[in-house]
Amino acid sequence: MSSRSPAAAAPLAAPSVSRRRPLGRRLRRAAAPYALLLPAAAVIAAVLGYPLYYLVRLSFQHYGLFQLVRHKGESIGTANYAEIFHDSLFWHVVLRTIAFTFACVSLTIVLGTLVALLLTKVGPFIRLLLTAGLIFVWATPVVIAVDIWQWMVDYEFGVANWTLTALHLGDFNHHDWFANPWSGWAVIVSLIVWGAIPFVTITLYAGLTQVSRDLTEAAAIDGASPWRSFRDITLPLLKPIYVILISLSIIWDFQVFNQVWIIRNGSPSTDYYLMSIYAYVESFKISEYGLGSAIALVMVAIMLLISFVYIRQMVRIGDAE
Amino acid sequence: MKARIIAAVALAAALSVVVSTASGGNKSASQASASKLVVWLQTDAQNGWPTAVAGATSAFKAQHPGVDVEIQYQEWTTHLQKFDASIAANDVPDVIEMGNTETSKYMAARALSALKAKNYPNSQTWLSGLKQSCTSGGHLYCVPYYAGARAVIYRKDLYRSVGVKAPPKTYAKFLAVGKKLMKKYGHNKNFSAFYEPGQNWYVAMSFVADYGGQIAVSKGGRWQGTLNTPQAIQALTVFKKMVRSFSRASKTTDEAHPYPSIPFAKGRVGSFIGNGWEWPYVFNPKGGAAPKSFAKRMGAYPMPSHIPGRYTPTFLGGSDLAIPAQSKDKQLAADWIKAFTSSNSETIIAKAGNIANTTTLVNVNKSNPALAPFAKAAKYSWFVPTAPNWVNVENANVLKNMCTAILTNRSSVAKAAGKASSQITKILNTKS
Repeated sequence: MSSRSPAAAAPLAAPSVSRRRPLGRRLRRAAAPYALLLPAAAVIAAVLGYPLYYLVRLSFQHYGLFQLVRHKGESIGTANYAEIFHDSLFWHVVLRTIAFTFACVSLTIVLGTLVALLLTKVGPFIRLLLTAGLIFVWATPVVIAVDIWQWMVDYEFGVANWTLTALHLGDFNHHDWFANPWSGWAVIVSLIVWGAIPFVTITLYAGLTQVSRDLTEAAAIDGASPWRSFRDITLPLLKPIYVILISLSIIWDFQVFNQVWIIRNGSPSTDYYLMSIYAYVESFKISEYGLGSAIALVMVAIMLLISFVYIRQMVRIGDAE
Repeated sequence: MKARIIAAVALAAALSVVVSTASGGNKSASQASASKLVVWLQTDAQNGWPTAVAGATSAFKAQHPGVDVEIQYQEWTTHLQKFDASIAANDVPDVIEMGNTETSKYMAARALSALKAKNYPNSQTWLSGLKQSCTSGGHLYCVPYYAGARAVIYRKDLYRSVGVKAPPKTYAKFLAVGKKLMKKYGHNKNFSAFYEPGQNWYVAMSFVADYGGQIAVSKGGRWQGTLNTPQAIQALTVFKKMVRSFSRASKTTDEAHPYPSIPFAKGRVGSFIGNGWEWPYVFNPKGGAAPKSFAKRMGAYPMPSHIPGRYTPTFLGGSDLAIPAQSKDKQLAADWIKAFTSSNSETIIAKAGNIANTTTLVNVNKSNPALAPFAKAAKYSWFVPTAPNWVNVENANVLKNMCTAILTNRSSVAKAAGKASSQITKILNTKS
């Protein structure tokens, strides 16, 4: 809060200074922020704007291998969109992707919160161990992490089946985790959540350390239960952090690709299609680049729609500051 | 303000990842220049006949001392995507190996350069099946590399232990051995009398061919998926019953995850259907690492048909070598291919368990009891529909998904086959 006062003083001083300045200088002054933005804008336009433009253009073209060899597509209007909107598999995949995102994000946030709360309760040594563990998970490259998980749930030689059988939890010999899509998705969701928890936990822990102990102690003295104190004190204080974490998690989980792709050996059955995989298969496996682009763009649109609520919240929080 | 920036960054990140999903992919690492030749071979060569590759490269270098040859080994599941990306980037390899089911799409799109057969060794005696997979509209677009037939690789000692001294000659006898093996060893949960990875669709389609079925037929310029025919459904039903009683392999992975040679080398498998090269692969550190003495306990035989006196048709797989249309060193590429498909080189490749690209080398493995059955099995064979779009059926996993659905009982044979059939019809008739 104290950082506000110099900023607040500036507008008072500014008019009197600028009135004395010549017009050219004032213009230059006004243009300065835009000039400073220019390099970043140029980079974004080059690395993001152009590919996006190209993607939009592709989505209105028939662009197969024949066109790829010639580097020239055939314009076909909205036929690609018409095709995907009439494709029952597409709608299936859209719903699955949304459900998958919802499952991953809610599990990540809930479990991340629980671990963060645990971190505030344990002693320094355990906290160090826990944090180190979290950092290791966070630092593991996705491909390696997926390989390890794949090995653990391997049908033939996996340690998961071996352990579950050894613990007499049933006969898991040659249990195929991916034969039933529900158990297959359970494995994949666990893998995603496992990989996402560290970031959420560490961020939330940082936030928790900023919650004044006076408040929670006062609440405790007034007879508030720990849950009540969490719900009415901690949660509102951490709301900005939650909004950002949830938004980022939605964005990350909505476009999960590598984990599913690698754990299904690069040839997932349609039961394991997410939108990103569907777009990839159409583009790179079947060489229907136009169709794949259309799917990718619909995916962007849906994601914007879903994250709009959260992004608006973020902007509001920003305005309030 | 800070949050607004975060929001903007988040938005940008979101967009960028989606965009990269659709327009990214692997850029090829190849950098064609006059002093370097980039060759894409499948890992089969790396695992099975590296000496042939090394020999070709040194023969080539003797001819072109200043030119480096860079062999980049590729996986079957990803090499076409990488090739497409390299076409988009105008940065193609100079030589590419393609499966004989993959070439038609690339020939139709004119992605490969036309070649003159007479410039290549043994072109008069090339295997006709492979040559056909390189020919489109009367032009030749690739050079036959090798072919492979599949046969049953089995454990002689286990067969003997249940009183079976010679390989089964009829399908009924094949079933009888399997039953005996399951009875004697099946209490071990890891044991399979016949190990069939559920997505090894080549075996399923061999059954279809054996019962007179086909994957698709062309009628008046239109393709029609035919796995929903009574013959195909009967075949798949027989296949399902056999696999479900004899195999404990995963029903959701293919024959490369894991290679059947691995559980075979570990003693968990009575038999499996494999390519010729999978015999030596049993001893490869990556393929199961069986001790050399294990060879004495191994045998091979062509899969018997349900029709007496015949074999179940085997998929006549094979590979060709092509020069992409955008290659900058077509002459050098041709010279490397010539060296690699010379009689010497093809002899090494054949001895590794394959069928050489020329009929003049047909007897290389005749005296090798391990590999002779594979050549015998090739007497009855089937091939995929010759539609330009065929490889898209493979790439969309239509048949793998069908096999998984059937073998896991997720849907009836008729329903799964009907679904696959209509998908195949759709893909094969898509204008490319």
